[in-house]
Amino acid sequence: MIPPSWLHLAEPAIKKVGLTCLHLINFGFAFHLFKENVAGLCFMAGPSMLPTLDNSGELVLESILPHRLFPNQLGRGELITLTSPVDPSRIICKRVIGLPGDVVCVDPTGLKAHSTEHVLVPKGHIWVAGDNAAWSKDSRDYGPVSMALVRGRIAARIYPLNRFTVFSKNATYIDH
Amino acid sequence: MYWLPLGLGFTQYFYTLKTVRGRSMQPTLNPDTSSWDDIVIFDRYSINSGEPIRKGDIVALRDPINSRKMLVKRVVAVAGDIVKTLPPYPDAEVFIPEGHVWVEGDEPFRTLDSNKFGPVPLALLDSKLMYIVWPLDRIGPLRPPISPVSKRGASRDFRWYSDMAAFEREQRRQSRVTTRSTTTSHS
Repeated sequence: MIPPSWLHLAEPAIKKVGLTCLHLINFGFAFHLFKENVAGLCFMAGPSMLPTLDNSGELVLESILPHRLFPNQLGRGELITLTSPVDPSRIICKRVIGLPGDVVCVDPTGLKAHSTEHVLVPKGHIWVAGDNAAWSKDSRDYGPVSMALVRGRIAARIYPLNRFTVFSKNATYIDH
Repeated sequence: MYWLPLGLGFTQYFYTLKTVRGRSMQPTLNPDTSSWDDIVIFDRYSINSGEPIRKGDIVALRDPINSRKMLVKRVVAVAGDIVKTLPPYPDAEVFIPEGHVWVEGDEPFRTLDSNKFGPVPLALLDSKLMYIVWPLDRIGPLRPPISPVSKRGASRDFRWYSDMAAFEREQRRQSRVTTRSTTTSHS
């Protein structure tokens, strides 16, 4: 049994430790909420977006708040981050190819579907594709993805410093 | 104001209290006998911690078609199951792919569920409904319906009959689902 006199002496110290813990948790939540809802730096690795993003990993700036405020302003050709429809713990980066209502050619390369196969993107969904068609698991495998899965867009690549780029929102259309 | 991140973090990642609106989960939630909308504790922690979603759980999910809406539905089938669908779904049977679930409202007549938009990716699930807080006559945890036990000699009351009806409804829902294990046992 702890003698009462010891407890009285320790009480202010315990209170201080408890309060510091709460401050730390508060700061941790603030940091995490900022990263998930406004913008944040994140590490991106994988072969599916070569040559735009490198396989061995890069630091990119992910901008989430504009998508939260205006979720219907996705443009074709934008680099977006989304939660994977096959694995909810993974965040993936792909390019928007089709918006709701578009008719998209499923696989022009003919790898995963015949090159004449087309699909109508349903309401509230988008068609995404990785830049590296040979090594990308995207809408050719799991179909159109719901816009509710989209987190935000990649605004810029920060590291490596010699390959610093700002990714623009506007795609140029090549008309016949 | 300084402690706002703590409060926000708690409601986003742990538990939150919300009202359920609509009639698609009758009679489990918002039955016609109740004058108020149900107030329920939503459990976000079990979804965030990666606990597997089981059949019979009631979950809150983002509407795949209109990402601003939240729907409250019951998980009827998980990845790997085959579901016999109800109209207006175009196919008679659906295989649930990996990472997806099939959700249906308890009230099949007036509900926006997987029979309209198909299997839902797990990432769209927001929270599990844990406990009804209001109204007080239905206060208690939300659990998958089980067959009620009748005590020897005790007459069956209204509560027994409504529990049995809920169990029979769950059986009817599950009769349209074939799980992975039952399909492989035939080979």
